[in-house]
Amino acid sequence: MRLEAMAITMPEVADHPNRVPFEGVLTVVDEASTRPPSGARGHRVILTRDAARAALPSLLGMAVDYAPKWDGHDARAKCGIITEADVLGSQLQVRGYLFGRDFPEVVQQLRQSEAGHMGMSYELANAHVTDMRADVWTLTRATFTGAAILLRDKAAYRNTSFRLSAGRCRNGSLPREGASTKLAAHSGWRFEKQSFGQIQRRKEAYGDR
Amino acid sequence: METDNILASLGESVERLNSAASLFERTVAWLEQRESAASGAVEKMTAAVEGQNESLARESELRLKLEAAEQQIAELKAQSSRAVTARQTLPASTTQLLAKQGISMVDSIQGGALDAALTGLSLEQRIAVKAQLLRAGMLTQ
Repeated sequence: MRLEAMAITMPEVADHPNRVPFEGVLTVVDEASTRPPSGARGHRVILTRDAARAALPSLLGMAVDYAPKWDGHDARAKCGIITEADVLGSQLQVRGYLFGRDFPEVVQQLRQSEAGHMGMSYELANAHVTDMRADVWTLTRATFTGAAILLRDKAAYRNTSFRLSAGRCRNGSLPREGASTKLAAHSGWRFEKQSFGQIQRRKEAYGDR
Repeated sequence: METDNILASLGESVERLNSAASLFERTVAWLEQRESAASGAVEKMTAAVEGQNESLARESELRLKLEAAEQQIAELKAQSSRAVTARQTLPASTTQLLAKQGISMVDSIQGGALDAALTGLSLEQRIAVKAQLLRAGMLTQ
């Protein structure tokens, strides 16, 4: 199994009233969407693993938004932030915080929602399609501009998910696989410092079990 | 003489090479054009199914089409009904006159054929029969 992970190191604040951690599956890679996404002119799409991996930096720090009926995107109704993004197997998993103090009704509704009912949907810009005449578009390059929390049946990918986490959202909380874990220290990825904190990039390769 | 042949052959070869080069250039241009047409950029995409507004717009468009189709069906039904009613109200005297002239149980009759069939009637009678048939929608040009 191969794992790509990236996270913003957020300073921990005990019992922060405005941070409600969440986790979810934003999309799946190398698999065609269940239905055509909005903006794909009726084509189902495949986001390649390489494209997703290359776009991970653009996802960190992006907001999650919601629509009042949980049926789509409202890019101006931003209720949280993504701090971690991982490509684990075929899933692009994300973690982050909702602004619980500012959006108590959002948190309440999400807590009351049935397990498995909520999903996620990415927002992309500058996506490159290999062959626009193909039935299923293959995206080989894209920039994430955000994500939405929505009803799972409104998402173009059936296998997305969203849930509020019980614990605190931390960096480095990816599942480990004991002795098989191998850290690629010289991955060639650059490290950057930004005003809101440290961005760490890790590239970890898990050997076959 | 031999030099002339060589020059001629050389000239021919150069011409063929030019032609091949030109064809090659055209092929490259076509391939480039094809490549750019096949791949493309999408400015914005969201992995949600088509938005509520788009669905509502589509629904509204389909509703309008349905209303227009229903109206058209109603008009056609009304026309058909009027034609049936008109045939039912063809006066008995007209039917008898037509029968005397050898025309019976017709749904429609052409103007020329009617003239030929009604030669035995007076001008007034012909006009009256034609008027009745026209009203009944049975007379065609």
